[in-house]
Amino acid sequence: MLLAFALSPFLILGIGALLLMLAEAFAAPSSRNRAGDNEESARGQALGATMVFLAAGAFAAGVWLYGIDDLEGASSLAPWLMIDRFTVFFEMLLCLGGALASLLAGGYLPEHNLNRGEFYALLLFSTLGAMILAAAGDLLTVFLGLETMSIGAYAMTAFRRTSSRSAEGGLKYFLLGSFAAAVMLYGFALLYGVTAHTDLAGIGASLAAGSAKSPFAILALALVLVGLVFKVSAVPFHMWTPDAYEGAPTPATTFMAIAVKSAAFAMMLRILLTSFGTGAWISWASGWPPVLAWISVLTMTVANLIAGRQDSVKRMLAYSSIAHAGYLLLGVVACSRSPQATASILFYLLAYTASTAGAFGALILCGRRGAEAVSYEDLSGIGRRHPGAALPFALFLLSLAGIPPTAGFFGKWFIFRSVIDGGFYVLAVIALLNSVVGAYYYLRVLVFMYMREPAAGAPVATPMRSGYVAAALLISAILVIALGITPGTTLDMAQAAGLTG
Amino acid sequence: MTPWLGLVYFYLLAALTVIGALVAVFNTNPIRCAMGLLLLILSMAGLFLALHAEFLAAIQLIVYAGAIVVLFLFVIMLLGPSATPPRDHRGRVIRATGSALFAILSAGGMVLAWRASHFPMMHNVDHDFGGVGAIGRALFTDEVAPFELSSALLMVAVVGAVAVARGKQGVHKLSASSKSEPT
Repeated sequence: MLLAFALSPFLILGIGALLLMLAEAFAAPSSRNRAGDNEESARGQALGATMVFLAAGAFAAGVWLYGIDDLEGASSLAPWLMIDRFTVFFEMLLCLGGALASLLAGGYLPEHNLNRGEFYALLLFSTLGAMILAAAGDLLTVFLGLETMSIGAYAMTAFRRTSSRSAEGGLKYFLLGSFAAAVMLYGFALLYGVTAHTDLAGIGASLAAGSAKSPFAILALALVLVGLVFKVSAVPFHMWTPDAYEGAPTPATTFMAIAVKSAAFAMMLRILLTSFGTGAWISWASGWPPVLAWISVLTMTVANLIAGRQDSVKRMLAYSSIAHAGYLLLGVVACSRSPQATASILFYLLAYTASTAGAFGALILCGRRGAEAVSYEDLSGIGRRHPGAALPFALFLLSLAGIPPTAGFFGKWFIFRSVIDGGFYVLAVIALLNSVVGAYYYLRVLVFMYMREPAAGAPVATPMRSGYVAAALLISAILVIALGITPGTTLDMAQAAGLTG
Repeated sequence: MTPWLGLVYFYLLAALTVIGALVAVFNTNPIRCAMGLLLLILSMAGLFLALHAEFLAAIQLIVYAGAIVVLFLFVIMLLGPSATPPRDHRGRVIRATGSALFAILSAGGMVLAWRASHFPMMHNVDHDFGGVGAIGRALFTDEVAPFELSSALLMVAVVGAVAVARGKQGVHKLSASSKSEPT
């Protein structure tokens, strides 16, 4: 019974997705005659999916409050699914991300004539995969979770079949993602060959025991790193991100930017700190930290420079999510000196989830059927005409830029502090300069919204109305402000959730 | 089996594998390429048999020869012979660089494997390792958690395929009904 309680977030998501699919299948025949009814049934889907996410999140919070250590049987799945505080924190984070994405979908899909129930099933299963990935303590479950999450994301990217952009983005994401997964799988196979273990802890112990580093282990680490870095979309492997993010329906973009990225960071932390977390592997002289530091610097710089040159706000937000991956990678580098730095990554991911979901949600709110708000010009003057859409947008952009008193400020603050505590002063300076560059393109949106008027004759953006999107914006706004004013309790939680050892 | 016979068996199948791979890469007729791939897969299955991995050999036949090559053939026949121009000059430089890089990497890997004396997993496994019984026992006892989790993976793949394939049809239906709405 306690085992079922420990696994309840997984079970709720899986069973909830199946029930929603059944509900849609049985609701469809009665409403086939009228288009209006069809929309109503899928509207219920959005509400249902959000409820499933919230229920799973509530059960995860229940597991947290009950205490993992008191939970008998939670360790019986140990090599496969690690039920520890790290996992439970990510369960709550991913359920929040999934709930926000499904609320946005509830407003976006009917507005843009895409309202098909499969989207919510994909969203739920993909989040389930993300949770498996965050909990995985064995290469086998890592791969299963990764693929479950990614296949859902591929399908959601290509969901708008009539748009060639969506198809192109989906195909690019699918092909490159499969390729990266294959490269990573080669790495896993080599790791198994070298250590004869597939569980991460066993690999770590075996690699620590061997005195000399086997060339195959180094090759395996390189291949696994390629896969990890692809999934968080850091710079040498970021090419798919802008196309996939721009082509996908915006709720799917939101999901990819928040949930997929968070789960990928969970996987990265667990693999690097558990399997490659000892001795020479984690040292600056001969391990993975300098590689990640270079990737992180490249990621921040390149993404920030390109983001400033975009005409499309959606594409700009895509590059901004790459840049944020760069800051997060710095946090991973800091973890190599003190495992306490994990807390700053977890806090940053929470702040980033709330801000990014809010920013994409506000972008959804600014457009309507046939006239999605995409470019900076689309947003010009919207601050005066429709303050209800512009004000939250401004808040989330300020949070992404890291202006106090928002969640983004403390996210950056904790990451930079842990980088400095680790002794990486140069990296901290580079990151600081980059966040100044980043502020430029976030503030540019504000300039367009509040200080420009649309050119004469240009189509004027009129915001859509949707209770779902408004609810998502409200939740994100409360989180952004609450984390910006009282970061303490959340940081304590993140510290409790840190990986030990 | 005498060691001499085993060697003949190995080299025969290895040669067939290489021939199949060469046919698959260099032939210009897509159907013949698929047949080369089939030859490669069948000889690989034979090699697996020699390693006492009967289950792997059977899966190789069912999944690769039975499903994947047939899928390739379906697609080739659906597209017809006109789908690929006989000579494609685009991206020649990229392809040449790619093959050169791959050749260098493979050579490096071979040298690495040759010189690495401390590669620990080169010992022989037991004869029943990887047999049907062993795999079944592992699948339903120790590894039942990932086995169950893989059902989520299959489910999301099915739903995803339906979502992407139904997309056009669903939108046609919707746009047709929305056109009739004002009347």
